[in-house]
Amino acid sequence: MTPDQEAFLAKKKEKAAARRQKPEEKGELGMTSLMDIVSIIVVYLLKSYASDPVVINPTAGQKIPLSTADAPMQDGIPIFVTLRGITFDDKKIVSMTPEGDIDPNSVNQHLIGPLYDALAEQVDKAKTLGENTGKPWAGRAIIVGDQELKFSALVDVMYTAGRAEFTDYSFCIIRKG
Amino acid sequence: MARKKFEEEEVQANLLPVMNIMFLLIPALLLAMEFASMASINVSPPKFSSAPSEPKPEDEKKEKPLNLKVFVMEDGYRVSADGQQEGAEAGKAADSKAPTIPLAKAGAPLNDWDRYDYKALEASAAKYKSLFPNETIVTISAEAKIPMQAMIYTMDALAGNSCKIGKALKGEKVPDDCYFWQPIVEGGAG
Repeated sequence: MTPDQEAFLAKKKEKAAARRQKPEEKGELGMTSLMDIVSIIVVYLLKSYASDPVVINPTAGQKIPLSTADAPMQDGIPIFVTLRGITFDDKKIVSMTPEGDIDPNSVNQHLIGPLYDALAEQVDKAKTLGENTGKPWAGRAIIVGDQELKFSALVDVMYTAGRAEFTDYSFCIIRKG
Repeated sequence: MARKKFEEEEVQANLLPVMNIMFLLIPALLLAMEFASMASINVSPPKFSSAPSEPKPEDEKKEKPLNLKVFVMEDGYRVSADGQQEGAEAGKAADSKAPTIPLAKAGAPLNDWDRYDYKALEASAAKYKSLFPNETIVTISAEAKIPMQAMIYTMDALAGNSCKIGKALKGEKVPDDCYFWQPIVEGGAG
């Protein structure tokens, strides 16, 4: 071993000894950057939810129609009409036949009885709320249908909503592209 | 004999590897999410939109309403304006035997969304719009079995597929490529 190599090894041992004697440093996590990211995500999520006055959560298996329309969703009361049934206020109130028609026991001359009762109750509540808050009731029904929903069923739902004093209708769609 | 005292050491979990994984997971999950942008098509029932109001003197000077109607049938579209069906036999107001615009894919099932000729319908809407530039209302009806998606695509074609009406609803000018963007849905009467 040459003197240079010996000197190098000696230096290396010294360094290793110094490292061993040095107390272990505690690594601390910088929380500032984490909080920055979390704050941005929270603001983004709040904004994306707050921009829509109505949050539509399609029921299981429901395929909302696609469209090129871009009109923003306006405030209203959603009625979910799928091939399985009509859901209103998170309750399934009317069933559909396997052929995709509304259960004939629930319909009388285009009027869907259980849906009318539920809508009328909701209208009363909305009107009372509107009177108390000074905000007039919009009278808008948002029909969240299914791609394969028959026109006859759609018309019955619209007719029933009309009888329950809804004056405006919107079809909920998913924007294409 | 003195007993050795064991002091309980406070062990802090090393959060760095967890945070590394979390920061990889957040963008991965955000990218994996499918965002569906919801919008709406505002429709009117016939009794509210087409209810005849008291005629005002200035209304008499206005142009005659187009009264455009589109009936979606299983074998195509029947288009009529001012009570006259487009392409009807001579001397007849309507010809229920033949649709005005036949299917683009004849024999296709009802849930084949390309079975209707939306381009021809849009061209027809553009033609009527050029004749009645101030008209925006169209009455749409359909046979009982017609699926909702076909109705929506029909409304899109009548409004114009490139029509962006969102800004106009907030007070801006209605774009020129928007034809009949105020649909009235009428019960299925031919």
